[in-house]
Amino acid sequence: MSGIEPFPPKGMLHSAWSSQVNDYAIVCGWNPTGTIFIVGGSSGSLYAFDGNSGNILWKKENIHDGGLLAMSICPEGDIFATSGQDGFVRLWDLEKGKEIKFIKIGKSWVEHLKWSPNGQFLAVACSRNVSVITTDCVEIWKSDDHPSTVSAIAWSNNEELATACYGCVSFFDIKKKFLNQKLEWQGSLVSMELSPNGDIVACGSQDNSVHFWRRSTGDDAEMTGYPGKPSNLSFDSSGTLLATGGSERVTVWSFQGNGPEGTIPGELGHHTQAITSLSFANKGLLVASGSRDGSVVVSFLKNNGDGDPVGAAFAGGSVSAIAWKPGDTAIGAVDADGKVVVWEFKVRTESDAKGFG
Amino acid sequence: MSINQKVPVTILTGFLGSGKTTLLNRILSEEHGKRIAVIENEYGEVGIDQGLVINADEEVFEMSNGCICCTVRGDLIRVLGNLMKRRDKFDYVLVETTGLADPGPVAQTFFMDEEISSEFTLDGIVTLVDAAHIDQQLGRSEESSEQVAFADVLVLNKTDLVSKEALSNLESRLRDMNRMTRIIRAEQAKVPIDNVLNLSAFDLDQVLKRRPSFLEPEYPFEWTGVFKVDPGTYELILEEGPDPEMSLVAFYDQGTTEDSLKDGAENSVRLYAEDAEILQPENVVPFNKHISLQLQDKGSKKFILEVNKSSNIGLFTQHTAEEFDMKLTLNPKEGGKSEIIDSIKERIWVAEHEHDDEVGSIAIERLGDVDPEKLNSWMGKLLSEKGVDIFRTKGFISYSGNPNRIVFQGVHMLFTAQPDKEWGNDPRRNQLVFIGRNLDEEQMQKDFDKCLV
Repeated sequence: MSGIEPFPPKGMLHSAWSSQVNDYAIVCGWNPTGTIFIVGGSSGSLYAFDGNSGNILWKKENIHDGGLLAMSICPEGDIFATSGQDGFVRLWDLEKGKEIKFIKIGKSWVEHLKWSPNGQFLAVACSRNVSVITTDCVEIWKSDDHPSTVSAIAWSNNEELATACYGCVSFFDIKKKFLNQKLEWQGSLVSMELSPNGDIVACGSQDNSVHFWRRSTGDDAEMTGYPGKPSNLSFDSSGTLLATGGSERVTVWSFQGNGPEGTIPGELGHHTQAITSLSFANKGLLVASGSRDGSVVVSFLKNNGDGDPVGAAFAGGSVSAIAWKPGDTAIGAVDADGKVVVWEFKVRTESDAKGFG
Repeated sequence: MSINQKVPVTILTGFLGSGKTTLLNRILSEEHGKRIAVIENEYGEVGIDQGLVINADEEVFEMSNGCICCTVRGDLIRVLGNLMKRRDKFDYVLVETTGLADPGPVAQTFFMDEEISSEFTLDGIVTLVDAAHIDQQLGRSEESSEQVAFADVLVLNKTDLVSKEALSNLESRLRDMNRMTRIIRAEQAKVPIDNVLNLSAFDLDQVLKRRPSFLEPEYPFEWTGVFKVDPGTYELILEEGPDPEMSLVAFYDQGTTEDSLKDGAENSVRLYAEDAEILQPENVVPFNKHISLQLQDKGSKKFILEVNKSSNIGLFTQHTAEEFDMKLTLNPKEGGKSEIIDSIKERIWVAEHEHDDEVGSIAIERLGDVDPEKLNSWMGKLLSEKGVDIFRTKGFISYSGNPNRIVFQGVHMLFTAQPDKEWGNDPRRNQLVFIGRNLDEEQMQKDFDKCLV
């Protein structure tokens, strides 16, 4: 179905291991030490693989009635959270796969989960509301109704949570239970990313554009001309580059100088079908992109957003999620056919990265 | 998982109380071998306990550019986006909307969002109307006329609650509004499933296969009555009505089946094309002739029909019988009482008169080729200026120099033109139907004619 021929890993990507799950895999992620790779499937299955060997450590089925919708691995400790169509959030122990706690959030789908950077709070989006719960599954804050279903959430710091929905991005101080800022724009925001310092808010919009705001100045801008809606966004760790999907190309906006307003973005055209996932490496200007065509490409970018591929590999079905291993020594990917693949990424040093820039 | 096959989606619209949930339950409980996922609005009338049912708030998302064709249903994008990962669970989707929903954004969702259009295909829009209340609703709310305008299939439900005559009138009103729809009468939403699912209504070729001329012609008459009579002298009595004269054609041996009524209609069209013979009251109505009954006098007017054999006679009249309270009576024999003859069959036709409803259909039918560039620039201009008021566009076009038929399909401003089968030896012609609000038919016909080569 992918339209491209399978090919062996190229460039800096090297086969590590692969496996198969009996589900449409939708989410994946590494534990903070990179020893365990977690994969979730749409019907509600959950698998833990040994990060090095690919052996299955444990697996679960039907963890959420109706299906799994989201997963978030806690940056501290050994737990992660899942949510689903049943309106529940469940917390799991990473190593054994034991359910630790659960909480019923509401009747509707729980579509988004995000741990705060310090791992103390879990933000949960369910229909028009967002809640924050603790690692004991105690709800400490709940938003009022948003104008529409919340489409994305992100933490700007440990105490401030951003939400996106139709027409606005809101920033909530969850300690003081206070609305810090509201950025309005008439459009259906389908994705959101914050720059690492929290100043730039980027949102993909249903009308095939990317809208962003600078919180410090209140300026905003709209980048139009995408063939599709940019559902995938990723900032690099320095906040210089924003990679966006929205077509079979990765469009990269550079925030250096006065950009990206008035600048020409970098375009990475290495896939034959729409981008389905995007992720910058934990460090450096390396972006991994997954596509409906079944391929994963890692590109090395310059500060102006232009770049070249440094590695490519073929997963099989439409790639649903990719995740860099902590330390950026490997990339894991999952696809629509239940394929789980991990490739090693040749080690590089920070000075190397600068040398290219 | 079968991946390449797109999942068909049926949209079920209709006012509260029109019987949507009854139909939905009927569809779900019937053995049709399909696994149907239902996306139901939150205010569903009755709970549905079968199959995969997902509740969704109707979230209509307008875009900052203010373009109405970009307006989509955010809830559907979210829900369908997740559903497409559960293809093992279902092979058909039904979307039920609330009675107040505008079908435009629902339909547009399947054209505007690439992620959705790559996995799902809009099969058809089915609108239920409550035969007893739709007349009032059409007057009161824009949504209900839009739901009629968008429909591929109109289920005229609760027909047991209204008279036959009212039904005919209603059907003709609805047909005036949307001439490409298929109207199905039903009681308690009892409709054959085949008539609502797997219609491929957005696949124009399928539509044309089923109904080679999906343009119901407009006739110069509104009404046909068939009367079973024996030899004798009859009187056609008309009261005061909306017009000082009325055209009429009378036939012997008029059948009552739909086919024979249509044959009669075609014969009448030919006769109506000839100049009418002026006929004053008290005169004899000739058969097989276009006549114009003169109705200027006050009070009742009588015309004579001399019937010389036992037959079913058909009367094709310019206006409906009701408008003149027209009756056929057998002349009394030697001082007896006159006897009113009831019709054994009545049929209302789509007439050429001005339409009352704001929402209506415009059909353009022309032989010959069009210049693709001229047509595109006209369509582009038309849709950008009037796109808000044009709900649906369907049809096919003959481009000069192109061996294939070009199929048009549109919702508001969105339209696609795709090459279809080759013309071969068929006469090259163009058929377009626009359904919309306050459309200027004459102007559109003129503009289209300018595109002809």
